[in-house]
Amino acid sequence: MQRLTLEDVAVRFGRIEALRGTSLELRAGEVFLLAGPNGAGKSTLIRVLLGLVAPTRGTLRVDGAPVRADRAFRARLGYLPESVAFSESSTGREVVSFFAAARGAPKKRIDEVLERVGLADARSRLVRGYSRGMRQRLGLAVALVAPCELLVLDEPTGGLDQDALTLLWSVLDEHRAAGCVVLLASHEIALLESRVDRLGLLARGQLVALGDPTSLRERAALPVRVKVAPRADADRDALVRALERVGTFAPVRGARALELDVQPSRLLELLDLDAAHRAGIADLQIVPPPFDEVYRRLLSEAA
Amino acid sequence: MTSSTERSERAPAPIFAFPFRVGRALAFHELRERTRDRWVLVISALFALLASAVGLYGRSAEGNAAAITGPSLVTLASLFVPLVALALGYDAIVGERERNTLGLLLSMPVARTEVIVGKFVGRALALCLAVGLGLGAAMLAAAPGEARTLAALLGPTMALGLAFVSVGLLVSTLVSRQSTAASVVVAIWFLFVFFYDLGLLAILVATEGAIGDELVSSLVVGNPTGLYRVSLLASLGGENALTDLGLDVSLPSASARGAIWCAWIFGPIALSAAALSRRALR
Repeated sequence: MQRLTLEDVAVRFGRIEALRGTSLELRAGEVFLLAGPNGAGKSTLIRVLLGLVAPTRGTLRVDGAPVRADRAFRARLGYLPESVAFSESSTGREVVSFFAAARGAPKKRIDEVLERVGLADARSRLVRGYSRGMRQRLGLAVALVAPCELLVLDEPTGGLDQDALTLLWSVLDEHRAAGCVVLLASHEIALLESRVDRLGLLARGQLVALGDPTSLRERAALPVRVKVAPRADADRDALVRALERVGTFAPVRGARALELDVQPSRLLELLDLDAAHRAGIADLQIVPPPFDEVYRRLLSEAA
Repeated sequence: MTSSTERSERAPAPIFAFPFRVGRALAFHELRERTRDRWVLVISALFALLASAVGLYGRSAEGNAAAITGPSLVTLASLFVPLVALALGYDAIVGERERNTLGLLLSMPVARTEVIVGKFVGRALALCLAVGLGLGAAMLAAAPGEARTLAALLGPTMALGLAFVSVGLLVSTLVSRQSTAASVVVAIWFLFVFFYDLGLLAILVATEGAIGDELVSSLVVGNPTGLYRVSLLASLGGENALTDLGLDVSLPSASARGAIWCAWIFGPIALSAAALSRRALR
């Protein structure tokens, strides 16, 4: 699978239009993040891919050829649902064993994948004794138990500690390197920004923004925060006046800190400050806006 | 794109590709899960306990064991087996839906009908174990000569249970919440086990018997619990047993009874499969 394409896909549940003609292309070897507010249509789009919801119109294509999300197609995917709750009276190994049998994975794969997600020591414990993070790891083990060409992870970061997040990043990297299509749906966009290749923002059933994180940042054109630490002997008032010509001062949190918001296109003007003013600066940091703000800006633009 | 190394990790193809892989895995998984279900275990153990008590009581009634043990067990089973069966079936699909595992299950290369059949088979096997345990306990406790008579109850009792597992499965497919499913199956149990006959009696009284024996007989045997009771009481007590008990019911032929059992067992399964196949998982 080199390209998985959703073409003008619409889904209607009674009066509710969950997806309104969404088109999207997912590529092999990329990690794609689907983001958007609750009710935007993320889960519906995933369910169309999984064959759980039939679209009212639109086409699903693999490498250009129209396909149905039938058994043959579903044999090629791995899936981690959001907030999955496996049977409490089964052991971790029994849960993975069932899904391995159902997906035709060899038995040796059960222990391998439990080892991979860090549950080897807990394999014989009942799921009811698992923490939230362990349950999420178990879900990941189920998604990974058989090789797949399309890996769909719905809110994969929920309840994960730092070790588990490191595991998740390595899983993403491995699947990217293996040429899989990886689709994530998550609200944790700031956490995932640096881990994904492209992302799409859904709002009210439509894709309102699509691109790599850098291009979306550029599109949002949010000011960057410039933190200036003046020298003790600097003429602070003169420095403030000079900086005011470049950006807008943000509320100052520290007695000595100067923080101003500067449009990215005007950052170079900081270099044009007089030598005397530049000499009064002990340290200067440029902090890009958190991706949550980029997300909010793009959504508000779409609204 | 899957690398060749990854492809080789798949299990080797069997010489005879046997379909129903997910269904088989599911049936086994369901059987194991049900045998750990506390409610099912408690009701089954209670049934086994009471059944063995019936067996012991019949044994103590010297010379009259045949008249006591079999009919008493039929009455006991007609109360307990539908309850065990409904407890086994009611959360089959809706439970998966609430745990968010139904989507995961259906995202695998499996037909939805296979999921329904796998669920049914696993739970049906658990039911057969519970019935076998109960009647087995009764056979061990009963008088030695009674065991063969009681063994004849196994098939119909399992059929009764399978019908109610199937009904529970249908309820589980149609509703959206497990608590709703539980309420519905309790209502079904009361309806089929208690109120159905009372309702018929009320109709007979209200119409002063004008609705006709044929229709009454059909309505009695149309209820799986009624069919179970009358066919086994007739079989245990001979042709006049029903009349002696004051039941003016004509028993349908063996093939008609088989057809009724099949309708109750397979009808709800087919409806469940159709409902799940048509349902979008929102």
